[in-house]
Amino acid sequence: MSFRDDLAQICEEYPELKFDFRFMEWETDFCRFYQSQINYNISKTSFILYADIYKGKKSYGFSLVNPTKNLLTEKIEEVKEIIDQLPEDPDFVDIEDDLTKSEEKEKINNIEKVSLEKKISILSQIAEAVKPFHFNIFGTFIANYQTVFMVNSNGLNKKEISSPIMLQLKAVHEETEVTVLESFGGENFDTFDLDLFIKNLMMKVKAADKKIIDVEPGEYEVILAPRCIGEYFDYLEGSMSAASLDAGRSFFEGKLNKQVFPSTISLVDDPTEPGMIRRSYNYDGHVYKKVVLIENGVFRNFLVNNYYSHKLRMKKTGGIGASLVMKPGEKSLEEMISGIKYGLYISNLHYMNFINQKETSLTGLTRDGTFLIENGEITSVVNNLRFTEKISDILNSITEIENKTYVVPMSSNYGNFNIYTMKMPHVKVKKFKISSSTKTI
Amino acid sequence: MKKLVYDLINKINIPEISFADVRFTSTDSQEIYFEKGELKHFVSKTDAIAVGIRVLINGCWGFAGTTDLSKYSLEKMMKKAIENARTGSKFRKEKVTFEPLKPIVDSYFFKPEEDPFLMDESEKIEFHKKIARKLTKNDKIIHSYVYSEFYRQYKIYANTEGTFVDSLVYDSLPMMYVLASNGKEAMNRTYPGSMNGRRGGFEIIRKVKMEDNTEKIIEEAIKLLDAPRIEEEKADIIIGSGHLALQLHESVGHATEADRIFGKEISYAGKTFIKPSMLGNFKYGSEIVNIYSDSTDPGGMGFHLVDDEGTPGRKVDIIKNGILLDQQTSRECAPQLGLKPSSNMKASFADDYPLVRMTNFCLAPGKGSLEDLIKSTEHGYFIDFTKTWSIDDNRNNFQFTTEIGWRIENGEIKNIVKEPTYYGITPEFWNACDAICGPEEWEFQGTFHCGKGEPGQSMHLSHGVAPARFKNITVNIRV
Repeated sequence: MSFRDDLAQICEEYPELKFDFRFMEWETDFCRFYQSQINYNISKTSFILYADIYKGKKSYGFSLVNPTKNLLTEKIEEVKEIIDQLPEDPDFVDIEDDLTKSEEKEKINNIEKVSLEKKISILSQIAEAVKPFHFNIFGTFIANYQTVFMVNSNGLNKKEISSPIMLQLKAVHEETEVTVLESFGGENFDTFDLDLFIKNLMMKVKAADKKIIDVEPGEYEVILAPRCIGEYFDYLEGSMSAASLDAGRSFFEGKLNKQVFPSTISLVDDPTEPGMIRRSYNYDGHVYKKVVLIENGVFRNFLVNNYYSHKLRMKKTGGIGASLVMKPGEKSLEEMISGIKYGLYISNLHYMNFINQKETSLTGLTRDGTFLIENGEITSVVNNLRFTEKISDILNSITEIENKTYVVPMSSNYGNFNIYTMKMPHVKVKKFKISSSTKTI
Repeated sequence: MKKLVYDLINKINIPEISFADVRFTSTDSQEIYFEKGELKHFVSKTDAIAVGIRVLINGCWGFAGTTDLSKYSLEKMMKKAIENARTGSKFRKEKVTFEPLKPIVDSYFFKPEEDPFLMDESEKIEFHKKIARKLTKNDKIIHSYVYSEFYRQYKIYANTEGTFVDSLVYDSLPMMYVLASNGKEAMNRTYPGSMNGRRGGFEIIRKVKMEDNTEKIIEEAIKLLDAPRIEEEKADIIIGSGHLALQLHESVGHATEADRIFGKEISYAGKTFIKPSMLGNFKYGSEIVNIYSDSTDPGGMGFHLVDDEGTPGRKVDIIKNGILLDQQTSRECAPQLGLKPSSNMKASFADDYPLVRMTNFCLAPGKGSLEDLIKSTEHGYFIDFTKTWSIDDNRNNFQFTTEIGWRIENGEIKNIVKEPTYYGITPEFWNACDAICGPEEWEFQGTFHCGKGEPGQSMHLSHGVAPARFKNITVNIRV
């Protein structure tokens, strides 16, 4: 009898209680490199059960490492002693009841498929390619393999396997420290094209071989790389959750079905989009479905989980904002750059933080390659810059969107190093506020 | 568990391995969270065990960790650590080497005044419920929460040099928050602020007197809705201890982590503007600025007998009379800078790889009380309670917003200002420090959530600080 079966059995053995179990078997192989050599290699495994127990509107949560049925039963008996002493949560109605299943198919284990030997072979070839230009490579090459079982007292019994892989590589000049970034992320490593990866990286390395300048604070016309616009949406997505609406922090409060951005902007949360890391369920175990968030500039849906669907009487959406896809526009990147007389190309963002989430005001910095565009051409490398902006102003200032999108891998880094992807184009922003220079690269 | 660690370190002590260490941790934690007056989460993690092995083979590190202590799993973990180092050494130009250290065999057991893990659960719940209900007693407060976190970790560290140390520590973290709204905008206040973690048990939660401060933060959050913003370009600012701890953390603490000098954190946390040539001569701050790393002070969460690679706890002057002298280092990177290891290698759990981390990273006290400092300020602002923080890849350009500020005129506190935001360049800012309050104002602040590394680790660490004044700082940031 598997532990998954034990969990289902426990749900039946205690009819006076309701259980919501999430059991994770997680493994990672994590190669970290710097100065074109290995920093360290890490292999980790963990087995952890997250459990929420409900008695009416009272609840208690706990986690167990290396759980067994006996350990779990002991813990439940302890909780039974405690739970009656707890106050009720009047907003709690029920645990997840969506029993719809995604297909439980086995996935290739990328930890086995892409061995450390193979990773090192790939990294060696990339290091050799950038070496003549006096660049070294830094970054991470990660593969995870994770199985999650979701079992609850409403009969939910689901399994999800994922094995994302990500190469996040920065090439850094030996003397100037000018940095450029190239990345790959997904589930199918067969789609990784080393020659193309090196070709794209080398284009950036060559662009980085220009004089370094500083620019004054002020408003600039900028091209935001796909990763940058993706990060802004990632931050804004926090305002699209029902939880933020309930907490009074949502920019979208009172804006449902209203025009909030230019009609050229459309955004969906779609785990089925090709090339993306596909997740089957949200954290409650609800099927993760496509949700339209912004349609032609109109805000269409909040992301609503089980708890807030009851509390706020909103329909569950199943989305978690982990697969954001922006609709492409009509211009090529070359056309977008060629139309700029004096502006910036921004490759990546760093250390953003909201000043006021409801107003979407934040500050942050550019990183990994900021370039000056003059008369339609990239002419210089620019020191990293600080911006202090409202995301809503940035989106309202978008004038052009590239006619293609790119898969951008991201990671939440903490916990189980959750790797997710988004699909974004380059965008042109007419007025982007640079508030200061870092005076460093 | 000591036997398990003994057995592992003895088994791994083979000729191919030039150094190895084994760590074991068992961690308990608990969180109580009330939102809008109601209990939303009461969550615990009990006896979360982990073990990790780090080996050095042919000048390359390999690491493996697991939560599964079965014989099969431990064998697999050892093999993986060896394979990771052996294979990794094929892509390694400079071999890792360092001097041996004398073995240390010792124990440390912290005893809290009030053990949160032995207390009656209903007592903790009632304590927080009272506060939670008080936070909802005003119509303009649209959101509020109060929560506390409790943490206890037992750790064993052993290495192939013969060091064997076990320790037990307790940390606690209290927090409450209100968000006021007038329908047009929303302003928040927290207490005791974001640097709210401390070494200790439930006594920490009692000491900060959250219940006594509920009305104060409600009143301030509401007043902030109609408060003015700072209008001038530049001003003198006095930074309160809670926020100054974060200023120190971001612009000096992380900047002086030596692994950043070598680019080991470029891929995530970033670099530093500090170059090896700056050690011993770079004027980081004004003459009154003295900053040190001290893992020998048991009052802070960064205390240890040895760090997570066997270096005994040390007090190290990082900045003395404004001059940059030393760095926070590992055994690997200290000799590359001509320094002695500073005892700053730490990992959050045994199955995490140790990194150069702040321990108790402190700004030494100056003279006088906060009251005296305010009295001696002709025009400026007293600011505290972090709202937003951001610093660049090189730890050079920072921008902070605090929840609240108080205008000072002729040595007296006047009106409050909303979202005071200031920006600076690290050395220019610390050179503008003209006063630091004395020992009577100096205390440990701390966090449970200092993020670094990949996979990311959240570290508990402390900052000893007293309020300080900085002259002519840019405060005209507008969104």
